[in-house]
Amino acid sequence: MLDQFKNRIILPCARTLWILAASFAPFVLPVLADNNPPGVQLSTSHATPREVEDTTQKAIVRDYSAAWSALTDALINNDASALDSAFTGIAHDQFAARVRDQLKTGLHTQVIDRAHDLEAVFYSPEGSAMELHDTAQVEIQVVDGGTVIHSEETTLHYVVLMTVAEDRWKVRVLQSEK
Amino acid sequence: MRNICYILLTLAVCWFAAYVAHAQTGGLKIPDQVSAGEGFTIPTSGSGDATFYLVGPGGASKRSIHLGDEIKVAPEETRTAGRYIAVLRLGRENNSKTFFVTPGKPAALNFLARPSRVPAAKQDAISGVAFVFDDYKNLVMAPAPVNFSLSLEQSAPTMRTVPTKDGIAWTQMNSSRSQGAAQFVASLPATDVSVRRVVQQVAADACDLHMRAQNTGKAIVVETDPIRDCSGNAVPDGTIVTFTEIDNHGRSTVDARVKRDIARAELPLSDNATISAATGVVLGNEVHIGIGIGATGGER
Repeated sequence: MLDQFKNRIILPCARTLWILAASFAPFVLPVLADNNPPGVQLSTSHATPREVEDTTQKAIVRDYSAAWSALTDALINNDASALDSAFTGIAHDQFAARVRDQLKTGLHTQVIDRAHDLEAVFYSPEGSAMELHDTAQVEIQVVDGGTVIHSEETTLHYVVLMTVAEDRWKVRVLQSEK
Repeated sequence: MRNICYILLTLAVCWFAAYVAHAQTGGLKIPDQVSAGEGFTIPTSGSGDATFYLVGPGGASKRSIHLGDEIKVAPEETRTAGRYIAVLRLGRENNSKTFFVTPGKPAALNFLARPSRVPAAKQDAISGVAFVFDDYKNLVMAPAPVNFSLSLEQSAPTMRTVPTKDGIAWTQMNSSRSQGAAQFVASLPATDVSVRRVVQQVAADACDLHMRAQNTGKAIVVETDPIRDCSGNAVPDGTIVTFTEIDNHGRSTVDARVKRDIARAELPLSDNATISAATGVVLGNEVHIGIGIGATGGER
């Protein structure tokens, strides 16, 4: 009786569940992969005139990574308030304007940043401002309504200016260059 | 066989449609690089309606265009430096091109001056960092000279010209020997762009702290000479001077504030005491009080 129950009910159910789980894997795994924070490698050996302290290095990696996360959220959801925690000044104003324009035109931008190779080139004498160069591996999709109108995987170079604000470093300039 | 023919025919039709659409939109003829705030036109060929998108770091636009007409990109659409994506969409066909907008000429400065208050006559105590921007708040990456000037009233300014590197010029300067409000100015040569900050230069630590003591019969009155730093600047009122009296009964300490350059205090009467004065890290002289001998002492 028990064997019959096992063969007729338990095993087919287990098989079905396994097949269902396996069929969802291709969808679930990339999502999990995308939720991983992007790799941010920071080099400070060329930073002048001040040497970058260990705690500052950790803070820069944490806050720059958070800034990209905020930017991708803002651009895909067209939510400028997502920028507030990580951007300030010029960069905040520029990206907020971009979000406003996207809202007006019905566009969305999906940015997936795969990796950032950051190099600190300037750390101000009093320790309140830092300029960095970022070589970023990104995937960009521009979407109009439900239609992808542009899609690319590319390497971009950014000049980044970060300044101390409240309890963290915020991005003040994020300017891509050739 | 018939089915295969249908499939091949369908593929050929799709390919032809895509080819025609691409031929109509053509490759987008956009320069690889334009300067911030410069408009330009994009020629198109073919006929019919299409949609043109322009997505940049500081904005996004979408508009219908007629193929065969020029697409006009206005100067205000390319104010923000960075990478832009232009897309021409005809039916289901997208033709995109990326290009860069580069910063314009230096036209604005952000200036960080630190600290706001600094002791006089201190080497490299004042730092100034200037960030150079164009008219549209883009960081100007091309080298540009920045003038720094630090001046105190009635003294010659210290001037320095520093070229920017990656949009930043910085300098360190000595504070002058006199106290007062120093004007620290960063400016762009050959323009009227300048930013001024005030750095308050104050007296440094006291130099040659000297005091005298007097037995008045009720107490021992101690008083310093006018307290000045090594450049001759009077230390600010409120600076604390600590007087310490040591005798057979133990130690007495009084903290007195400098008022009009002088600190003054009264210590308990004693017939055999050693009194010393100190302010910050600076020690003054010692004075010895004995029975009937008044005060004697010397420099320490």
